[in-house]
Amino acid sequence: MPSPVHRGKLAYKFLFWFLLISLAPIVVVGFNLISISRDALKNQSLHNQESAAVGFANMTWNYITTYKNILSDAARQSESIAAPREKSDDLRAALAREAQFLDRIMQTHAAFLELSWVDLGGRELLRKGRFLGPSPPMRSFLNEASFQVALQRGEYVGTLERFQGLYPTLALAVPILDSRTRPPKTLGVLTGKISLNGLSTMLNQEFPEGRLREAAVVSSDGFLVAHSNPHVIFRPEAKLAKEITDVVLTQTSDKGGGEIRLSDGKKLLGAFAGVKDLGWVVYVQEPIESAYEAVPEMTSKTLWVLVWVIAVTILLSLAVAGHITQPIRLLRQAADRLSQGQFEDIPEMATTNDEIGDLAQTFLQMSESLREKTGELIHAKEELEKFTRHLERRVDARTRELKAAQDELIKKERLAAIGQMASVVGHEIRNPLAVINNSTYFIKTKLAADSAGIDPKITKHISIIESEIKQANGIINEILTFSRERPLKPVVLAVNNFLEEILAIHPFPSHIQVVREFDPRNPVLHIDPDEMRQAVRNLIGNAVEVMPQGGALKIMTEVLEGRWARISVKDSGPGIPADVLERIFAPFFTTKARGTGLGLAVVRKVVDRHQGKVDVETEIGKGSTFKIYLPLSAPGGGVEAGAAQPQAESKVL
Amino acid sequence: MSASKLLIIDDDAHLRESLAESLELDGFRCHQAGTAREGLDKAHRLTPEVVLMDIQLPDSSGFQICSTLRKASREMVLIMMSGRFLSAEEKTQGFELGADEYLTKPFDIAELSVRIRQLLTRNAAR
Repeated sequence: MPSPVHRGKLAYKFLFWFLLISLAPIVVVGFNLISISRDALKNQSLHNQESAAVGFANMTWNYITTYKNILSDAARQSESIAAPREKSDDLRAALAREAQFLDRIMQTHAAFLELSWVDLGGRELLRKGRFLGPSPPMRSFLNEASFQVALQRGEYVGTLERFQGLYPTLALAVPILDSRTRPPKTLGVLTGKISLNGLSTMLNQEFPEGRLREAAVVSSDGFLVAHSNPHVIFRPEAKLAKEITDVVLTQTSDKGGGEIRLSDGKKLLGAFAGVKDLGWVVYVQEPIESAYEAVPEMTSKTLWVLVWVIAVTILLSLAVAGHITQPIRLLRQAADRLSQGQFEDIPEMATTNDEIGDLAQTFLQMSESLREKTGELIHAKEELEKFTRHLERRVDARTRELKAAQDELIKKERLAAIGQMASVVGHEIRNPLAVINNSTYFIKTKLAADSAGIDPKITKHISIIESEIKQANGIINEILTFSRERPLKPVVLAVNNFLEEILAIHPFPSHIQVVREFDPRNPVLHIDPDEMRQAVRNLIGNAVEVMPQGGALKIMTEVLEGRWARISVKDSGPGIPADVLERIFAPFFTTKARGTGLGLAVVRKVVDRHQGKVDVETEIGKGSTFKIYLPLSAPGGGVEAGAAQPQAESKVL
Repeated sequence: MSASKLLIIDDDAHLRESLAESLELDGFRCHQAGTAREGLDKAHRLTPEVVLMDIQLPDSSGFQICSTLRKASREMVLIMMSGRFLSAEEKTQGFELGADEYLTKPFDIAELSVRIRQLLTRNAAR
């Protein structure tokens, strides 16, 4: 019997399908969303970076422009002092004033590392620098690009330089114009070297160290102009990774961005923007993980949802399975009980209004029908067993009957064989017996004719021979009578009269007292008189023989149950011992010194042929009664066919 | 009264002789035959008053002889002998064929003599 918590396969199937149905969309949608989000994030991130790059590119340009303007302003203010002086004192004074002016500028703007005042001849008139001695050597700018470009185009912006091999610097130059003349007259060129560390500082503020985002300004030759990490700048070969510079510097567009894979396998999201006029590129990068930092959160949230859904699904499916399988389990329990043949105590089943309810209903009908059928079967089985027992009894009875019949047949066959032999022997003996008889007669007659002195002993012996011949002939007759097979020739006769005829001619010795006790109804029988006479004679003869000292012989007739006639021959002899009693009707059984043992066998044979029965009642010392039961003749004459055997038995009293 | 002529037909020589000689002591003149053919032959030649015949003979049956002889003579005493009991049908048949008496062996010769004489007297009246 399954415990209540045990769930069958159905529950697991429910679980499986519920999970599949609920989880598959979540997984697909969730991960699609994540994927879409990734792209969105990536784009967003790239866009942000690009904006930052563009912004910083502007800032860089502004930075450079600012200092260019400062330089221009300074050049404009220089005009008064830059006017040609005739006097060297004036010039000296002017230079001194100019020098103070440049100093003031350098003090005001820390980014200026050097400022030089160059006249039209390319000679350096003033040189102010932060790390210069009191009187630095003056240089000639005549062949310098800054000098020439500034004069030709009105301004000069140089390329990245390394001040003292470390600080990224930029050379700027503007012409010094005399605004008092029309058109303004060029007086010289003001050159300046500005430190670009400020850019790094600004980048650093925008993209602080320790954050994953990095930003840099790269010159067209690949060297770093500025970097959000200032330490990077001060390296001798301050460059970005080659993969990055390869991408960034070969772009034709102003700005852009994308995914970059480094040689060490790292993935970056990078964006760039060109700085106007300078050919520099602002580059902003971010590790892809940082761009996607929202993704793990989304993933974990999705997983959480999954876990929740799984938990809820399991509970739900178990509940549903339980709900669905509960009646099915009940049905199964009921079916188990049915299969064990228990029709009582079928578990209660709710007949809900659905298929399972229908099933339960059908099941109940089925169990009811099964109970009826089983009842019928059991009944039929009992009937069958009863019938089988009856049949067995009948078979046993028939077997016994057959056995008896077989025994009877064997006996009959044996008797027939004996009879045949007896007949042949008897017949063959009769001829010699006849010859002996004839010869004895001849001798006796001859001797009697000769008369005179015959030895009396001869006469006696001749008598003995004659007597023995008679005896032998009697035996032969008895045997032949017993073995003779002739058809029965019954006639209808009254039994009292029939017996009276026999008694009338029977040679009773004088010491026997014959008593008749006839039924006054004088039963009518349908019998063969010759055979029945022989049988009665044998009984009378035996009775006489067992009473050699005299006695009473009683002949009785009776009617029994209106169907049977009984002829009894009662003697007052010594009775029959029990061991002899059971064999007295057997052929050739005799207790006499001389006798064929066929007398009672003939009686039984004759009575059997008349569908009758013979038995004997005996009491030692008092005598025996032989009783012959014969069926009464039917009113129409003839022996009633199949008349039941009378209840007769041998008794020793 | 002259001695009656008697023919005994039986295949058993001892029986024939013992019977013939015993009956001769009683005053019959006896002839014998061992077969049916010889019996019929002697019956024709000797014309016996009495014929005793066994039912079973090697060449024929007593019934046949009886029938033949009865056709030849109405007076002749015909006695049949048998070593076995005859059924009622056989007896009836024998009497219908003309037999006067039926004997089952062995039989008492004194009684037989008396019976023969009775039958001779009876048949002579036919």
